[in-house]
Amino acid sequence: MTSTPSWLDRFVDGLPDKGWFQFLARNLVVPYWVWRDPRPKLPGGPRSAPQSGENLQRMMNLIMPLKDPSPIGRAKAALVVAQNVDEIFAGLDNVGTVHNARFLLLGNNLCMISVYDGDFTNYIRDFIATIGSVFDAIMDLVEGGDDLKPTEQNIERFIDWVHAHDLFQVPDFPTDLFTLQDEARGLTGRDHSVLSLPRDYILQFHANPDVSLGGGYRAYPGVSAAQIRESQGMGW
Amino acid sequence: MTAGYLVEDEIGIVQGNILRGYKLPYVRHLVLEVADRTAARAFLGAAVAGDNPDVPQITTEQPDRPGVPKATVTFNLGFTWQGLKALGLADQELRSFPTEFIEGMTRRAAKLGDFGDSDPCHWPSPYRQPDRVHVIASVYATDEGELNTVQDQVSRSFKVIGVHNGYALPEGKVYFGYKDGMSQPRFVGFHGSGPRDGKNHRIVEPEDPLGTVLLGKPTRLRDLEYAIPQPDQLGRLGTFNAFRVLQQDCFGFEDFLTSTAELLQKQGVADRLVGNEHAKLVYPELKGRDALREVIAAQLCGRWRTGMPMQLAGILKSNPDAQPSNQFDYGSHALCPVGSHIRRNNPRGGEVVQRIANFTRRLIRRGMCYGHPLDLKRPDNLERGLLGNFIGASLGAQFEAVMCDWLNLGLNSPEITGSNDPLLGANTVETSWFDLNLWTEVKPKTIEKHRIHGLPRFVTTRGGAYTFLPTVAGISYLAGLRS
Repeated sequence: MTSTPSWLDRFVDGLPDKGWFQFLARNLVVPYWVWRDPRPKLPGGPRSAPQSGENLQRMMNLIMPLKDPSPIGRAKAALVVAQNVDEIFAGLDNVGTVHNARFLLLGNNLCMISVYDGDFTNYIRDFIATIGSVFDAIMDLVEGGDDLKPTEQNIERFIDWVHAHDLFQVPDFPTDLFTLQDEARGLTGRDHSVLSLPRDYILQFHANPDVSLGGGYRAYPGVSAAQIRESQGMGW
Repeated sequence: MTAGYLVEDEIGIVQGNILRGYKLPYVRHLVLEVADRTAARAFLGAAVAGDNPDVPQITTEQPDRPGVPKATVTFNLGFTWQGLKALGLADQELRSFPTEFIEGMTRRAAKLGDFGDSDPCHWPSPYRQPDRVHVIASVYATDEGELNTVQDQVSRSFKVIGVHNGYALPEGKVYFGYKDGMSQPRFVGFHGSGPRDGKNHRIVEPEDPLGTVLLGKPTRLRDLEYAIPQPDQLGRLGTFNAFRVLQQDCFGFEDFLTSTAELLQKQGVADRLVGNEHAKLVYPELKGRDALREVIAAQLCGRWRTGMPMQLAGILKSNPDAQPSNQFDYGSHALCPVGSHIRRNNPRGGEVVQRIANFTRRLIRRGMCYGHPLDLKRPDNLERGLLGNFIGASLGAQFEAVMCDWLNLGLNSPEITGSNDPLLGANTVETSWFDLNLWTEVKPKTIEKHRIHGLPRFVTTRGGAYTFLPTVAGISYLAGLRS
């Protein structure tokens, strides 16, 4: 049974607020653990789930580093997107499973943020099959993009590239991180103490500094884009 | 000009059972581990050359020639990614294969609906150790004895870690009682000229470009090309296969038909089931609840258990001897429920949410039954089901795409999204549903939905592997590896 915390417990619990400990943690403890017990970079995008609701309205946060992040490079990116608006609408229409999508220029990246239904690879493949030329123009702007052109003829590699540049989605239920880390390291049947969770998070953020916190929040869960269009009489 | 077609030299190197199915009554799939890569490579070389009486020769696609009898025993090989690695394929070449094939079927389980009882952690040996599943050798024969001969020959060069025996049921049926394998892709420039069937009827399903199955040929998505694994000799004109061991709960299925028939009678809607009007044409001998069970079976599948598509059963009015055919499509007033097995897996020309996906996710299916014979009058708990092969140029764009978005989830139509395939889907009793088609009570009669709940999972995955089916030129390349 728990009782009044001992002086040692109180001391340890107070460490994170102490300046000297924060300095020590940043410069010694974390680098030591990164060396001793590194975590693999976890893959991007939503994970497959048995529940159908989890496979609808899934989030993509595609972060593509700009070749030229200067204002000139940004202006070029803005023009490419603007010039292809019609194609992008046509693509959305033909793919049929996208709720919404948008481009951002953020930091040194061109980002494509979207909400789609179903499997990620099908979404990307259908998009490329419809408007591959738009993605070819985008690939001109981003690092590593040249090797993937034309995207229609490099479809498998393009899908892998997008997957690698889609942000890792931190599990909505924190301890699920243990399972994801174990799976990535090919470990099974391991027990974890919830006390180690903060350390596991820190190590994971070392491997995946940019993430999506959770899989996103849905105001009308379990509904597909086509179901919304149908219910509004827009035809699907 | 001929890129979309196969010249004779190309046809002759493609392995058999891909473009056309063998019509042989027995199969044995041998799951093999490469224990000695030198011995395995020597076997592959001899299997291509056909010059060693102790090694079975690979069967290739051969045009029928008058006077040349058809093979009575055939031999074909599929390689997993682990198998290619075990044979000594270079790292750079191994990496040229698509991700889903590299990962293998067990790591794609969530996408394939292999969870719960179908989770790979419940699969029996040898699939518990997917890294040891290297090659699947498939032997078809007219006679079971020949299967043993080939197994003996193979076991001298490979370690046999699994054996699956399959057989054809009479009348082309599968367990659950349906006539199966009715709709298969037909290929441009291969299955005869023009979209006509054997009786010179126009086929509603267009012929598929060869790139649907053979790597390096054009696909239906105009400019989209699937990568050819390297080197070219290994990858070109090869294809991928999802081999699945699918256990079927036959008694559970028959019980479900009975309980659903009784439920519909109790609900007072049984008389309005779409298909009632054809039941007496398809099954003149059945009455009452027995006939109703068949109507439900037809709605779940989209075909009557005789193989007759729901869409076409009306033909029997004028021609009681009409045979099931493929000459149909789904319009806005189709009799066949949107969620039925055949419609959700192959929507043909019907409207789908993924507008460009019509006819792009076609699969070649080569299945045989396995397990203990079924006697519906004597319930048992014995295992039986289907040894399925689902073949296509891209596992990701075809097999997996169908499995994760259409067969389960039902993303192809807003009317079925959130439901799974009634026959094959990853259903759980608590959440599953299916919309049967009923005729409305008011005239003019139109179709309305009637939702039933509580479908259990009728098909459980018991094993499987993704394999690559190279040409004999590709197998020669593997035989010649030296590392």
